[in-house]
Amino acid sequence: MQAANRRKTIGLLMGMGVLMWCVVYAALTYFGGSGAGIVPIAVGIALISVWGSYYGSDKLVLTMTGAKLIQESDNPKLFDLIHEVIIASGLPMPKVAIVIDSAPNAFATGRNPEHALIAFTTGILDAMDRDQLQGVIAHEMAHVANRDTLVSAVAATTAGAIAIVSDMLTRMMFFGGGRDRNREGGGNPIALVISLVILILAPLAAMMLRSAISRKRESLADATAVSFTRNPAGLRSALEVLASDSTVVQQRSTAVAHIWIESPLDSKSVSKLFSTHPPIAERIAVLKSMESLS
Amino acid sequence: MKTIIVLGVVALIAVFIISQYNRLIRLNITVDEAWAQIEVQLKRRADLIPNLVETVKGYAKHEQSTFDAVVTARAKATTATTVADTAAADGMLTQALRGLLAVAEAYPDLKASTNFLSLQEELSTTENKVAFSRQFYNDNVRSLNTAVKTIPSSFFAGFAKVSEREFYEVEDPQDRNAPGVTF
Repeated sequence: MQAANRRKTIGLLMGMGVLMWCVVYAALTYFGGSGAGIVPIAVGIALISVWGSYYGSDKLVLTMTGAKLIQESDNPKLFDLIHEVIIASGLPMPKVAIVIDSAPNAFATGRNPEHALIAFTTGILDAMDRDQLQGVIAHEMAHVANRDTLVSAVAATTAGAIAIVSDMLTRMMFFGGGRDRNREGGGNPIALVISLVILILAPLAAMMLRSAISRKRESLADATAVSFTRNPAGLRSALEVLASDSTVVQQRSTAVAHIWIESPLDSKSVSKLFSTHPPIAERIAVLKSMESLS
Repeated sequence: MKTIIVLGVVALIAVFIISQYNRLIRLNITVDEAWAQIEVQLKRRADLIPNLVETVKGYAKHEQSTFDAVVTARAKATTATTVADTAAADGMLTQALRGLLAVAEAYPDLKASTNFLSLQEELSTTENKVAFSRQFYNDNVRSLNTAVKTIPSSFFAGFAKVSEREFYEVEDPQDRNAPGVTF
């Protein structure tokens, strides 16, 4: 289960690479030599913006979600549960934060296990019992163990670079970038049309790939969480609580939507291809099948 | 040209040997750490018991045999040193504690007391921690033993002075009551 999820993530990341390559190829076909200079610039811009947020991910996410760091004395019961999962997983102790919000939800971030941060809304702490909360903590620590912040940073960098390249090239078309086309004697008109279509559709495809990677990481985190606690029933019933709850977290920034355990965006407003989370019913079904195995 | 190739091959072999050696050492250290974690959690539980027994005694004076079982099991658990002895004592103590909590069920005043409630929470998290540290230890012993037995890491086990380790197996009657099959 975990191995299959990992393979799919690698496949999707390779898909990103292929897409990037298509965009570069399209740029070269359409503009000849002058298009080539744009690619390193775009990759550079995307790298700086995404990797900046990757290194400061814990602090950045804290400000974006309004989470407040807490100490062991603030909530000893929660820390007891976190210590249990820490022992089961062998990971270092993360920083812990609380978001004051009645919608039940949780997230994990941080560039590596040593700089991890897990956060819970006050809603999830109120709504869940011991086993359910343990499942949620295990799911968040599974994100830490699988280095999902890194994976999503890589995905975001590539998607961002693709978006910048396509954007710059589409602008160049309108501002007389066609000179190179004439120099190459017009080229193959079909190739030109295809490359134009690629440039327009690439950012969309990159977004879809990015969401698909996020969905795979969610399923992987569920599986890893069960390998920590050996108790699929806890996480399953926690997801059932989340599914039956209709409230969503107040601030609904799409930029940080992928980090929560349950998507904070209204599921109806986002189509499945662009959704950062697998449908919660699907996740419950997978956990149920694990329960019948054990 | 030839010397470069020879040097490259030698370097590759050296890197391979070092990584195999380091992996075995790392696995062995992780098992040691996992074992230390078990001991920490068992000690935490042992420290919790006198207080728990006193609290229950305050409400249920006539359950002497249950108290005795807990105290004996605790004494065994605190003196055990080998993996097998510790595991056996751990299993006994887990069972004795279950008996103690079952006794508590019969005394509503006790169950309602704040002291007992906080002890119960602490005991259940400690039981979970003991169980998880066992699980983590056994997982790591499994990967160490696999590395010691399988090629190519098995070639380096003697050189690294790493050998197979013992699993931590707790005899728990509750885990063993598999449904009886009658024909």
